[in-house]
Amino acid sequence: MSLAGKRILIAKPGLDGHDVGAKIIALALRDAGAEVIYTGLRKAPEYIARVAVEEDVDAVGLSILSGSHVDLVRETARCLREAKAGNVKLFVGGTIPQEDNPALIEAGAAGIFNSSQRIEDVIAELARVLDAG
Amino acid sequence: MLSPDERRDLAREISRLASASVEQMLAAPPAAPGRSARRIGFTGPPGVGKSTLVGSLVERRAARGTSVAVLAIDPASPYSKGAILGDRIRMDRASDNSRVFMRSVSSRDSQDGMCNNVADILTTLEASGFDEVVLETVGVGQAEHAVKALVDTVVLLMQPETGDAIQALKAGILEVADIIVISKSDLPGSARMREHLASTVRFGAKRAVDWTTPVLGVSVDTGAGLEELEQALDAHAQWATTHRDAVAIQRSRMRYRVQDLILRQLDHTLASLDDTDYAAALPALYAATVKKLLPRP
Repeated sequence: MSLAGKRILIAKPGLDGHDVGAKIIALALRDAGAEVIYTGLRKAPEYIARVAVEEDVDAVGLSILSGSHVDLVRETARCLREAKAGNVKLFVGGTIPQEDNPALIEAGAAGIFNSSQRIEDVIAELARVLDAG
Repeated sequence: MLSPDERRDLAREISRLASASVEQMLAAPPAAPGRSARRIGFTGPPGVGKSTLVGSLVERRAARGTSVAVLAIDPASPYSKGAILGDRIRMDRASDNSRVFMRSVSSRDSQDGMCNNVADILTTLEASGFDEVVLETVGVGQAEHAVKALVDTVVLLMQPETGDAIQALKAGILEVADIIVISKSDLPGSARMREHLASTVRFGAKRAVDWTTPVLGVSVDTGAGLEELEQALDAHAQWATTHRDAVAIQRSRMRYRVQDLILRQLDHTLASLDDTDYAAALPALYAATVKKLLPRP
């Protein structure tokens, strides 16, 4: 599966300060051919949406370990729409209990990943959603 | 200041230009804008602190009301062609300002460390009404000369105690700089390197009338030297108004633009030749290559 030519923003919203997972994903996406922009830690949803617009990305991947994933996904989706970037696909990964999946999808997530998934599967799923437009 | 729609449209236009083919650029070349912005280029080896310095400078200038667009070019992986565009992390405070537009691009298949159609991207940023346009790129020898053609002021960064000074002498990149910055000047060895470079510049062949390249120590961590750097930038802009020739600038930018397209086309052409083509004698191979250079619609 290739993500050649895709631009993807990996972002850390909220207050958790661990980005090993975000960096591993960023590298894997690069190796799949994507151009990856990483925001660094503890960014506000408004800031993430703004970067998504300026960098003209196809997708935003939020890495969240703090437990507030539903609120952060909803808020980021709202900010993206406000910044006229409602077409950007929003993904979320991290420590996410499966029972939250419906709420996350309702909040605007186009895909949900957790640490038990293989990287190749994550890439394949991203490629599938992005190519489906 | 850009509206959300304008910001998004500008971002999309940059994407379009960064991936436009030679044929597309020739079919619809962007027109020169009716206005010009002040262009400042930052170059130097990886890890020298370009993004951190640019972030800090842009933050200061934006706080005083200057609108700034930043184009930061990062290298693509030679294996996957993918890239991690990490310059933003070092500029997050500056890029949160609404007077600032910041964009990262990958060098993709470019030969000189720039991105494709960089000249047209800079022109587009200029046309969007920014007071200043900043270009940041990894110095890889050829990049310095490309930066020189594209911007008004070239700032070359070097780090203390890395042997950079000798490397710079070897590669001849000192001559390209309008301002030299020793970054991380709080590190040991900075003062010595500064003296060494300053005397090299002083005793070297003079390139520009009435302008001696200043060598400044700057530490973003402590803030030391930032004020001096801004003064040097202003002094160089002042100098340029009386010593630079608009026709010559236009010529060198146009030359870069056409060279960029030809080199890209040449790269495609050489890749498309087969073993039979390469088995020919050198003059025949040369003639065949040149003939194939014309892009087919």
